[in-house]
Amino acid sequence: MVSIGYVWYELRRRWSRTLVTALGLAAGVGLVMGIVGVSNGLSNAQGQVLSPLSSVGTDIVVERTVGVANTSSTSSTTTTTTPAGGFGGRSSSGGGGFFAGGAGSSANTSDRAALANNNSSILTDLSKLGPAGTQYSNDFFVNGTLITFPQRAVTDVSKIKGVEAAVPALSLQALHETGTVPTITDTVTTGGQTVTQAVKPPALTAAQEAAVRSCLEASGAFSGPPSGSSGTGGGSGGGFGGGADFGAAFTKCLPASYQQYEAQVVVPQQTITRVLNPPTTNTQTSSYTVAGVDPSNSTSGLITKAQLVSGTWFTSSATNEILVSAVYASSNNIKAGQTWTINKTPYKVVGLVNPTLTGDTSDIYFDLSTLQSASSQPGRVNEVLVKVNKSSNVDAVAAAIKKELPGATVLTSKQLAGQVNGSLANAKKLASDLGVALGIIILIAALLIAALLTLSSIAKRVREIGTLRAIGWPRGRVVNQILAEMLGIGLIGAVIGVVVGLGVCALVDAFGPTLSYSVAGAVVGSSSASGLVHQAAAAASATKSIHLHTSISVLTVLVAAVIAILGALLAGLAGAWRAARLSPTSALRDLG
Amino acid sequence: MDDPATPVAVETQPLYRLRGAERRYLKGEAEVAALRGVDIDISAGEFVCIEGPSGSGKSTLLQLLGALDTATAGTVEMDGQQLGLASDDVLTGIRSRRIGFVFQQFNLIPTLSASENVALAMAPQHPSKAEREERAKELLTRVGLGHRLEHLPSRLSGGEQQRVAIARALANRPEVIVADEPTGNLDSESAGEVMALLLELQKADGVTVIVATHDPEVGQHATRLIKLRDGLVVGDVKP
Repeated sequence: MVSIGYVWYELRRRWSRTLVTALGLAAGVGLVMGIVGVSNGLSNAQGQVLSPLSSVGTDIVVERTVGVANTSSTSSTTTTTTPAGGFGGRSSSGGGGFFAGGAGSSANTSDRAALANNNSSILTDLSKLGPAGTQYSNDFFVNGTLITFPQRAVTDVSKIKGVEAAVPALSLQALHETGTVPTITDTVTTGGQTVTQAVKPPALTAAQEAAVRSCLEASGAFSGPPSGSSGTGGGSGGGFGGGADFGAAFTKCLPASYQQYEAQVVVPQQTITRVLNPPTTNTQTSSYTVAGVDPSNSTSGLITKAQLVSGTWFTSSATNEILVSAVYASSNNIKAGQTWTINKTPYKVVGLVNPTLTGDTSDIYFDLSTLQSASSQPGRVNEVLVKVNKSSNVDAVAAAIKKELPGATVLTSKQLAGQVNGSLANAKKLASDLGVALGIIILIAALLIAALLTLSSIAKRVREIGTLRAIGWPRGRVVNQILAEMLGIGLIGAVIGVVVGLGVCALVDAFGPTLSYSVAGAVVGSSSASGLVHQAAAAASATKSIHLHTSISVLTVLVAAVIAILGALLAGLAGAWRAARLSPTSALRDLG
Repeated sequence: MDDPATPVAVETQPLYRLRGAERRYLKGEAEVAALRGVDIDISAGEFVCIEGPSGSGKSTLLQLLGALDTATAGTVEMDGQQLGLASDDVLTGIRSRRIGFVFQQFNLIPTLSASENVALAMAPQHPSKAEREERAKELLTRVGLGHRLEHLPSRLSGGEQQRVAIARALANRPEVIVADEPTGNLDSESAGEVMALLLELQKADGVTVIVATHDPEVGQHATRLIKLRDGLVVGDVKP
């Protein structure tokens, strides 16, 4: 039995204590509500991140990554010559054989080679881009860590018992390069000068000398041998007939090669083109992700119609159409309906989508066949998204796929969910760990404050309580009175606390942080982080962001209110215990 | 619990019988003897005035008689029941039903009206709300405050507050009224009114009134005067 009027009057009389105690409890309860709200919000956000996986009906993702451990002892003897045909080369040997072909150790090596080959295509041959100064813009599609396989695998998978649907996808890394073609050659022209050279002729041979002699003799410039010659010729006169005649005759009688002993040489003109090493470029590279999806399937696969934010799904002329993720669109200022050019091909942006998660999300979605030809991989895919008829069959189907396609990486949605990390996961962890600890600390603090205030209030009411005891109030009644007062405080605290808690949640919603999360779905075999594919591997995990919305249920509000009331009662117990121990003689003490 | 319905032969058994009653306190390390062996009998219907200077043990004796406290040695009997052996619940019951208290500081609950203060004392006896209100009104009318029922103590004079306290003391129709310096905080006019009320209660209702005071005026109305010095009875007269 308590006197409600007495309780109410007491609370009013000591209104400041009532208010401070109630506010203390309210702060505790409000913050706990805030923490619960944020925690629920994070759970919802996580759910939102993961739900598209189930909403698109994907239970299992089949992919193939470099360095998948293999157990097959069969050594492959097939040498893979081209990445396009390599894995398919052995498909004739049995069902799903193309995966089996990759299971051998040497095939694994060929995987790497193929991947290296594929990824090496990002090397740009500057000389083929046009004259220096030309602006160029190129997009290269590389496979990253995912190895392609023939689209036939989709059919194989869809035949497995329990598989309701199997949808192919080709997820690629894209590198976008822009820049100006640099000056990579220059031209040098040499030659054309006239060079004068002195020539010293060799001595005359005996035959030449004889010829000169006879020539001179015949010309009459030379009448006889200069000495001792006995009458070989007519011998009339004597000596040289005349000096001038001799010089002309001599010249005439010299061998041809001696008649001109000075030569003018003209060096032939030559133009030499040199390759400058190294050429300087201003190439800008950015990477994004692309995926090829089946435009005829708008309900399952990497992206679905349900994830459209604006615009429409692929139309019948899907080959020249793309869907762009809302995040990529906003950062590149792309609007639905505009044209977006990739590798000089204009594509119509038919819609913007919000892919939240499916193992690997992409920035741009093409028609599968368009991307296959753009990346020179016709008929090849690197993902199969499988829907299972019953959720209880997921593990069995996953096992069957592994058996059917040895060497495949088979990920169930549950495993994918475990790969969500980033600030979302961190915040979730923070909220569940630190948040709970913080909430408990705040509650304990509020409780201690309430208990201290109650005790101090009892200390001020010693004579009053003594009087109650003296006029015949039993201990229990005094205790009930104190507890009833605290119950009143608890009720006030609960009301204020709930208001504060809802306010905190509203504030978080208004100014709340945007959380990022990443999904490492595509990079399962991270042992592939070799130098060649490192860049692609790093980009293959999708990082996205999500706005935090707190969530408060009626149950949370009720629990918060009950916590406030119980807290107040608990604090009241301390005061009540103290009050119950007061002697009734306290009524007679002169305390002023 | 004792049985209030038991008929008591006042002549053969006194209301109170104290034998060698001592009360010692620990004040820090030192033991203080507030009462050092008191032997008195008090009969029903007496108007007892306990006199003595501060520290003589008046209040302590009053606490023993009012069942607020128990003796550390000796016995305090009420109607043959040893209060020192009774549990807190029993003592509380005795206080509630048989004893009414009047304090020097009035000790009213400041947040409650005159009527509510009186009704508060009835709460442990569980009468209905209407009964409580009716009796509170009746008692306050009797002490001359029928027009002040809903007044808070802060809006009443000292004499009026003490009259409310007397009405509260009468709430459960006690056999004994224990008053500790009831006029100590009052002007002489109010003091006279309060003493007249207490006298009337003793005379008209046969209530045993035990008053501790140093006011010689009070002693004049008493049927018995007990003087205390240093925890001992030094005088016990019936003027």
